[in-house]
Amino acid sequence: MPRELELFGILFPTLLIVFHVAAIAFWLLDRALARAGLYRLVWHPALFRASLLAALFGGLGLAVYR
Amino acid sequence: MWKALLRPALTLAVLALAVLVGRALWSHYMYAPWTRDARVRADVIAVAPDVGGLVVDVAVADNQIVRKGDVLFTVDPARYRIAVQQARAALAATRTERSEKRAVAQRRAALDSTVVSSESRQSAQSTADAADARARQAEATLAAAELDLARTRVRAPADGWVTNLNVRPGSFAVAGHPMLAVVDARSFRVEAYFEETKLGGVRPGAPVDVSLMSGGARLAGHVASVARAIGNPEVEGLLSNVNPTFHWVRLAQRIPVRITLDAVPEGIALSAGMTCTVTIHPAG
Repeated sequence: MPRELELFGILFPTLLIVFHVAAIAFWLLDRALARAGLYRLVWHPALFRASLLAALFGGLGLAVYR
Repeated sequence: MWKALLRPALTLAVLALAVLVGRALWSHYMYAPWTRDARVRADVIAVAPDVGGLVVDVAVADNQIVRKGDVLFTVDPARYRIAVQQARAALAATRTERSEKRAVAQRRAALDSTVVSSESRQSAQSTADAADARARQAEATLAAAELDLARTRVRAPADGWVTNLNVRPGSFAVAGHPMLAVVDARSFRVEAYFEETKLGGVRPGAPVDVSLMSGGARLAGHVASVARAIGNPEVEGLLSNVNPTFHWVRLAQRIPVRITLDAVPEGIALSAGMTCTVTIHPAG
């Protein structure tokens, strides 16, 4: 995976794009989990959701760099 | 009962995962030896004529490939030919003089001391020696004139590409003044500027991946060496001029790391100055 991507003649670090992908994925996952009622099984929903976003972004980022 | 345990456990598990993954990404991004700040470099040889004069012929075009020893351009040789003729004539004159003086010295040496004084004999020998020295000087002058004549043809110092061709027939070449550059074809390398925080993972000999900004296949290489000095803007000239404000936020300095390319695949034309991304793999 290249470490930078070209958009309209400007090179961006891939991580920036990966973050946006992670945010969209998180948004979809978050809605699905809320609809499934999983958040009722969760201790601190805010902490859970923040950790989920961080884990998603970190995982995708590592997939790019490794 | 299990539900009361599950609630904190699920949250804490995801939190732990986030911390681990985040930490791995952070350390990779901050400390793994890779950089986007790398340039292709090559040796550029400034080609200047060794003798001055009008340029009569330019044998190459800009960006043309040349081999070592190819004639690049020619300085008008007429004046240097005349100089060679002049030196030859001077040499002939001194040689004639030398043979005459030698003959005189030999003749006097052969005569009896009752006929020729020893002073006269000695002075004839000295004159012959001096004539011999002048003849050898004339030989050296001729060799220098011939060298100048040979140097009117300016030749390529290495295999490579002509660049920045700034000479036309009729322009005046000044000795020692560069008129074009030759990029040495065998000298292409990559210089990667690594933050000092990442230098711990840079070991000479480690394999390296180079990907050019222009895309295409990745180039393989290895670390050749790490620069042992960079400029310090606070020491210029003899005295230090230290900035009195010390910034809370500091930036890591970047140290050049020289990377030798193992092989350049067909179809990839490197130009010195290209940007590339360099990733160093752990050696072994």
